Amino acid sequence: MSVDYLLHESSVGYAVFKVVMQADSIGNRLKEVQDKTQDLAHFGKMVQLVSFAPFQGASQALENANEVSEGIASEYLRTVLETNLPKASKKNKITLGVSDRNLAGSIKAAFPSVECETGETSEVVADLLRGLRLHAGKLLKQLQEGDVERAQLGLGHAYSRSKVKFSVQKNDNHIIQAIATLDHLDKAINTFSMRVREWYSWHFPELIRIVSDNQKYAKLALFIGNKTTLSEESLHDLAALVDDDESIAQAIIDAARVSMGQDISETDMENVMAFAKRAVSLSDYRKSLQGYLVSKMSIVAPNLAALIGETVGARLISHAGSLTNLSKYPASTVQILGAEKALFRALKTKGNTPKYGLIYHSSFIGRAGQKNKGRISRFLANKCSIASRIDNFSEAPTTKFGDALRKQVEERLEFYASGTAPTKNEVAMKSAMDDVLRDINIEDPTAGGASDEEMADGVTAQATEQLIRQKKLKKARKEDKAETEVTEPASKKKEKKRKRESEVNVDGDVKAKKEKRGHSEGAAEADGKKKKKRKSE
Amino acid sequence: MAFTPRGGDRGGRGGRGGPARGGRGGSRGGFGGDRGGRGGGRGGGRGFGDRGRGGARGRGAPRGGRAGAGGARGGQKTVVEPHRHPGVFVARGKEDLLVTKNLTPGESVYGEKRLTVETTPANNAGAVNGEVAPATKTEYRVWNPFRSKLAAGILGGMEDIHMKPGSKVLYLGAASGTSVSHVADIVGPTGTVFAVEFSHRSGRDLINMATHRTNVIPIIEDARHPLKYRMLVSMVDCIFADVAQPDQARIVGLNAHLFLKVGGGVVVSIKANCIDSTAAPEAVFAREVVKLREERIKPKEQLTLEPFERDHAMVVGVYQRTAA
Repeated sequence: MSVDYLLHESSVGYAVFKVVMQADSIGNRLKEVQDKTQDLAHFGKMVQLVSFAPFQGASQALENANEVSEGIASEYLRTVLETNLPKASKKNKITLGVSDRNLAGSIKAAFPSVECETGETSEVVADLLRGLRLHAGKLLKQLQEGDVERAQLGLGHAYSRSKVKFSVQKNDNHIIQAIATLDHLDKAINTFSMRVREWYSWHFPELIRIVSDNQKYAKLALFIGNKTTLSEESLHDLAALVDDDESIAQAIIDAARVSMGQDISETDMENVMAFAKRAVSLSDYRKSLQGYLVSKMSIVAPNLAALIGETVGARLISHAGSLTNLSKYPASTVQILGAEKALFRALKTKGNTPKYGLIYHSSFIGRAGQKNKGRISRFLANKCSIASRIDNFSEAPTTKFGDALRKQVEERLEFYASGTAPTKNEVAMKSAMDDVLRDINIEDPTAGGASDEEMADGVTAQATEQLIRQKKLKKARKEDKAETEVTEPASKKKEKKRKRESEVNVDGDVKAKKEKRGHSEGAAEADGKKKKKRKSE
Repeated sequence: MAFTPRGGDRGGRGGRGGPARGGRGGSRGGFGGDRGGRGGGRGGGRGFGDRGRGGARGRGAPRGGRAGAGGARGGQKTVVEPHRHPGVFVARGKEDLLVTKNLTPGESVYGEKRLTVETTPANNAGAVNGEVAPATKTEYRVWNPFRSKLAAGILGGMEDIHMKPGSKVLYLGAASGTSVSHVADIVGPTGTVFAVEFSHRSGRDLINMATHRTNVIPIIEDARHPLKYRMLVSMVDCIFADVAQPDQARIVGLNAHLFLKVGGGVVVSIKANCIDSTAAPEAVFAREVVKLREERIKPKEQLTLEPFERDHAMVVGVYQRTAA
C-alpha cells in the first residue's frame, strides 16, 4: 500500500509532506535505497512540503507535545490536517503516514476518509519518517539554523518539568518518607536514650534498676533532676509518670535518699537535662509521626493497613516504590519483598528460596507453627496483594475487605492449629461486598425503593417501575385477579436476576473480585442516577 | 575490525591482577534495586543517592590516600593531554586522571574535583610583538570511572565511543545526570545530549543539572516508549544505554530504529545480574549481543568493566539499516 502524505511532528510544529516518489517496499533494505534516504538531494525529491504549521508559543507546544505523547490528535493538529489534506471521498481514500499507532487511531476517528500507515506497519513509512527527521531542519525552509535545537531544549524542559510536577503517586511519597523517617527515629531514640541513661546514671545509678523502660526513664530523669530535691511531696507526680504505680514511685524516692551517685554541679545538670529533654521530645515526635502514618495509610491503603498493620503495609509500599507498583506485583513477589538478597543467593546457588520478606513482621507468621510458616506467608502474601489492588483501584476507601481478609488469615491460622474449616473465599468476599453495598445503601436512603430491580442497559429503575405500575393499572381495570399474577412474575424475575448476580459473584478469585468492584461502582452510579431522577421529579 | 571480546586491563590502571574473577561474594543488587532509577520509580525517592554507590569516593575511588579538596589541583604539576577520544582528556599529575573540559567553569555537578590548567605565556603561541598574551585558564572536571560506566569503558580501552565534539547523543538511563554532564562536556556547546530518565526523583536532579548546561535536553519519560518523546529528539549520532533492564536490547533497538542515524554508534552497558542473575555473566553478554544483532546493530567490540564494576560489559555496535 502506498502512502500519499506524511505527518512530521517536531518541537517547532507540525509539518505535512506529500510523497512525490513512491518508494518500493521490496527493495527497501537494499543499500542503494537506504543511501538515497541519507542524501538530502535525493530525499528532497521524494517528498514535498505541503505545509508547515509552527506552534504559537511555548504553552501551545507543550500542550501538543503532551497530547501527541498520549496519542491524542489535538485540536491544532486536526485543523492542520483538515486544511492541508485534500478532501477525500470514500472511494478515493488518501493514506497518511504517522509514527504512532495510537495517534493514527485518533486521526482515523477524526477523519474517516483518511487511512493511516504507521512506522510499525510499513517499513517504507518508517524510512520516510526517519528521512524527515534527519533532514527536517533543511526541508522546513522557514526555519533558521538552530531553531529546532532551541525549541527542543525549551520543550524538553517544559515537558519534563510538568512530568515531575504532576506525579501520580503524590500520597504514596509521604508514606514512603514517613516510614523511612520512623525507622531513623527509632534508631536515634534508642541511642539517645542509652546516652541519657549512661549520663544520668552517674548522678542517680539506682534509677535504671527501678525503671528499665527507656522513655519512662528519660521522663523521670527530666522530672527528678537533682535527686536531693526529691521528697515525699513529689510522690504523686512521680507516680503519674510510672503509670500511677505508687509503689514504684515510693521505691524511687527511697532509692534517691540512699543513692550512691555522685553529686553534680548546676551546669552539668543543666546539660544532662537539656539532652534528656531532646530525647523525650524526640520520642513524642515519633508518636505523632506514627499517628500521621496511621491516618495517611487509612486514606491511601485502608485495606492493606487493616490486613497487616500500618507499619508493615507502609514498608511494603515503600519497598515497591508506590502503591501502584505494589498492586502490579504478583503475590509471589509480595511474599519475598525485602528478602531479595536471600532470593538471589538462593537462585544462584540453586538452594532454597526464602519463605518471607517484609511480611514476616506482621504478627501472623510468628504465630504459626514452624511447619506452617511458609504456608501462612504464602496465604498472607496472596491476601496482601488482593488488598493492595483493592486499595489502588477503588475510589471510596473502606476497610471492609481488609477486615474480611484479616479474618480469613486468622481462620487459616486456626485451621493449621486445630483443623477447623476456614470460611470459603467466595463466602468471605461476598459478605464483605454486601457490607460495602449496605454502607452505600445507608448513605442513600432513597435508593431502597427500587434497588432490587436490575436494570437493562439504558433503562433506569424509574422506567421499569413505571412500566410495572402501568401494567398493574391496566390489568386491574380489566380483572381484579390479575394483580397477583403481575406481581408474581415480577418477583420471579427479581429472583432470577439475583441468582445471576450471585453466579457472577461466585469465583473466589481476584478477577471476580475486581468484577465485583466494578459491579459495586456500577451500583453506586445507578444509585446516583436514581437520586437525580427523584430530585427532578 | 574483528569482533573480539577483550579484557579490561588495557587502560590506565590495570589493577586487576590474578584470575579474571575469583572469590566474589553473592549478588549485591536485587530486583534491579540498586539502580533505583528505572522500573517505575522503583525505589526512586527512597534513598538519597540513587546509584547506591556511596559518596564520591565509594569503593576506593582512584585517588587512594589523598584527602581534602583541591588534592588534584597541582596547578603547575598537572599537565592535561588530549585522550585518544576527542573531547576526553587525561590529567597527568601524581596520578593519571580522566577529565573532561568543564562546560560551566566554576561549577561542580555532583561534588567532583575540578582542576584548572593555565597555559603559560611561554608556550603560548599568542605571544607577539613582545607583548605577553594573557594566560588562558581551562577548567577540567575529574571523571570517576567507579561512578560512570562510560568512564570505566574508556579506561578499559574502548576503540570508539562514537561521541566527539558536535555529536548528538541519545542517553538512555540518565539517572541524576552525573555521567550525562561529562558526555555534555565531550560533545561541547555545538553538540546535544538527549537525556532520558524515567524516575521522577532522579529526574529532578537531571533537570537541575540541565538548567546549567544548555546542550542537555532532559526527557522524563520511559525509554520503552520512544514514540512518546519523538517530538523532543532529532536524529542522533550515538545512543548510549545504561538502563539495566531485562529487555534492554529491545529498548535500544526501538530507540535506534526511530532516532539513530545509519552508521551511528550504539554503546550499551550491560549488567549481567539485571538480565539474568542465575546464568553465567559471559553467557548473558553473549545472549545480549545476539539480541542486538537482531535489532540490526552490528556489534564491534565488547569489553568487561573490571575492575570498576563487577559482571558488567560494555558493548559497542554500529547501526545498520540495510539488509546484511
